[in-house]
Amino acid sequence: MSNDNSIQVDGLTKCYGDLVAVNGISFTVNRGEIFAFLGPNGAGKTTTVEMLECLRKPTSGKAFVLGLDIAKDQMAIKKRTGVLPQDFYTYERLTVKETIQYYAGMFNSHPDVDGLIKLVDLEDKKNVLFKHLSGGLKQRLGIAVALVNDPEVIFLDEPSAGLDPKARHGVWHLIDGLHKQDKTVFLTTHYMEEAEILASRVGIIHNGNIVAMDTPQGLISEYGKRNLLILKQTSPRAVPNIEKLGIKAKYDGATGDVTAHLNHGVTVSEVLHSLSSSDIPFGELQLKRSSLEDVFLNLTGQTLGEEEGTL
Amino acid sequence: MSHVVIDLKASLKSFLRNKSTVFWTIAFPCVLILLFGAIFSQSSSKYDLYVQNQDLVAGKETYWSDALITALNTTNAPFNIKMVDSSINATDYAITNRLSSLLIISPGFDRNATIAYQTNGTGATANVTFVYDQSTSSAPIVGSILASIINQLNFGLSHGISYLNIQDLKIAPQRYGYIDFFLPGVIALTAMTTSIFTSVSISAQFRQNGVFHKLATTPLKRYEWILSRTVYNVLITYLGMSVMLILGVAVFGMKISVDAISLFLVAMASLMFTGLGMIIARFVKDPDGADAAANAITFPMMFLSGTFFPLSQMPLFLQAIAQVLPLTYVSDGLRASMIFGQSQTAFLNTGIITVLGIACILIGSWITKWEED
Repeated sequence: MSNDNSIQVDGLTKCYGDLVAVNGISFTVNRGEIFAFLGPNGAGKTTTVEMLECLRKPTSGKAFVLGLDIAKDQMAIKKRTGVLPQDFYTYERLTVKETIQYYAGMFNSHPDVDGLIKLVDLEDKKNVLFKHLSGGLKQRLGIAVALVNDPEVIFLDEPSAGLDPKARHGVWHLIDGLHKQDKTVFLTTHYMEEAEILASRVGIIHNGNIVAMDTPQGLISEYGKRNLLILKQTSPRAVPNIEKLGIKAKYDGATGDVTAHLNHGVTVSEVLHSLSSSDIPFGELQLKRSSLEDVFLNLTGQTLGEEEGTL
Repeated sequence: MSHVVIDLKASLKSFLRNKSTVFWTIAFPCVLILLFGAIFSQSSSKYDLYVQNQDLVAGKETYWSDALITALNTTNAPFNIKMVDSSINATDYAITNRLSSLLIISPGFDRNATIAYQTNGTGATANVTFVYDQSTSSAPIVGSILASIINQLNFGLSHGISYLNIQDLKIAPQRYGYIDFFLPGVIALTAMTTSIFTSVSISAQFRQNGVFHKLATTPLKRYEWILSRTVYNVLITYLGMSVMLILGVAVFGMKISVDAISLFLVAMASLMFTGLGMIIARFVKDPDGADAAANAITFPMMFLSGTFFPLSQMPLFLQAIAQVLPLTYVSDGLRASMIFGQSQTAFLNTGIITVLGIACILIGSWITKWEED
């Protein structure tokens, strides 16, 4: 494999009985990039990342992390990678500092413990027991723990799931900082915002298959070409009026809003012209840019929020 | 190996920071000892043992029956021997006079003992009957001392040692009270509960809340972790044991010999119950369910393995059950080594528990997975 690849995956498959959790996926992650696996719960993200972490054996296919075979070189891979599992948890009655020291001991490494605590902004909590930390602080400690062995590749499995927006932004800030330290980050998430903000490249995974892979902008321009037009407090008559332009529109009786996805050919001014010529009033006009959410919807016919059960 | 030390330190730190666990690990057995010790301990120096010898030839005691009575009468044995006329119905006599302990030597005892002696125990068994009032606190103690004296006689017989040597065997180096019976039982009990419950709850919790998951991503190996947890359980059991021993000596003035064999037996018992806990946790994955399963196993053992009362007091079918419960061998072995000084019995029980302990920990380690594949 080329030296520029931190992770190379080739036809990786994982089955649980009849269920195919990961279906022959192939991709590469370049050295130093933040790569995000975006998909709903149960899409196969965690199964994939756990195969790369050498926690699960693939049913078939190959994968290399830092050029090391996940089927043969597990110990070497563990020593050179850092892992933040989903919902990081550890000995409840160790303090922040002791937890970092504990895991450093497991790697026989001697990191700058205070530096790590500072990095994740837990200086005033360093003597607090793990069980007394809030969810966001636990995740931040988990990130510090994932760094004790100065890893070249870091796996972050749903790093901000279940956190409030403030805590989530704190975690994002940290992950962005890792990128600046030239570490390769492999991230799974079902928050499209997280992938859009952090990732240099995004793989969209659905039912065990990678359905698209590109930079966030590349994905949006390729698959998300429909800007959303929202007319606030308008009349239901707007729907047939817009639809005669050849695009679909929807009236929401509760809010009185009409929404319509604009196709390439149809412009906002055409819609406005049509409305005014029919004398249809509206309170306000919003135009929403396409996002990864739309990309996902277009590719899979589902929204990311749809739960499909967890593997 | 450094991983084991690091994990062990983390575990011990966690233990000391968990006040309620510390309290229950140490205080509960102590409360048991103080309570039962106070209720059942007697200050009387010797126990009354009534003996009826029916094995007479021409009005004279036979050789073996006389020998047994002499053994019971040695200065070491804590008995006031009181003879009962051989012609009366001894059981009725005991009921009428509210005796707590009565030993009947049946006719033919001498003949059977002689045959047994000559045939190495295959030709016959010489029986004595122990009649006792189970509502009295002294009867179980008398029963267990009698059993140990007769065991020693048997041991002498089966090894072809002549009768005359019996006087030289250390049958009863001191006087025994209920507490002497009870304390080794509680130590065995603590080894069981500490090891099983720690092992079950840690395995189930670590699996559920994802600590195993995280540990599996580090270079820590599974066997290193299991080794650390096993050593941890042994240390915690030793901690509880030492507090109990201090209590026994300070409050009850017990004479306890803590030798290498008793320490080894406790370690092996802890190993066995740690393995058993791992096996339970493997099959009952939900932490609450695993706790309930551990209770279902430990609770009957607590009462059926002679922790609180001697086995001889229990109905025969319960005694048969006790024979297959591992805790029985731990209690018996500890009593033999720490109190009665019966090294043969101690070795035998320790051997059994060592084999079981190694088997349990190997099976437990083998089936414990950090990750479902």
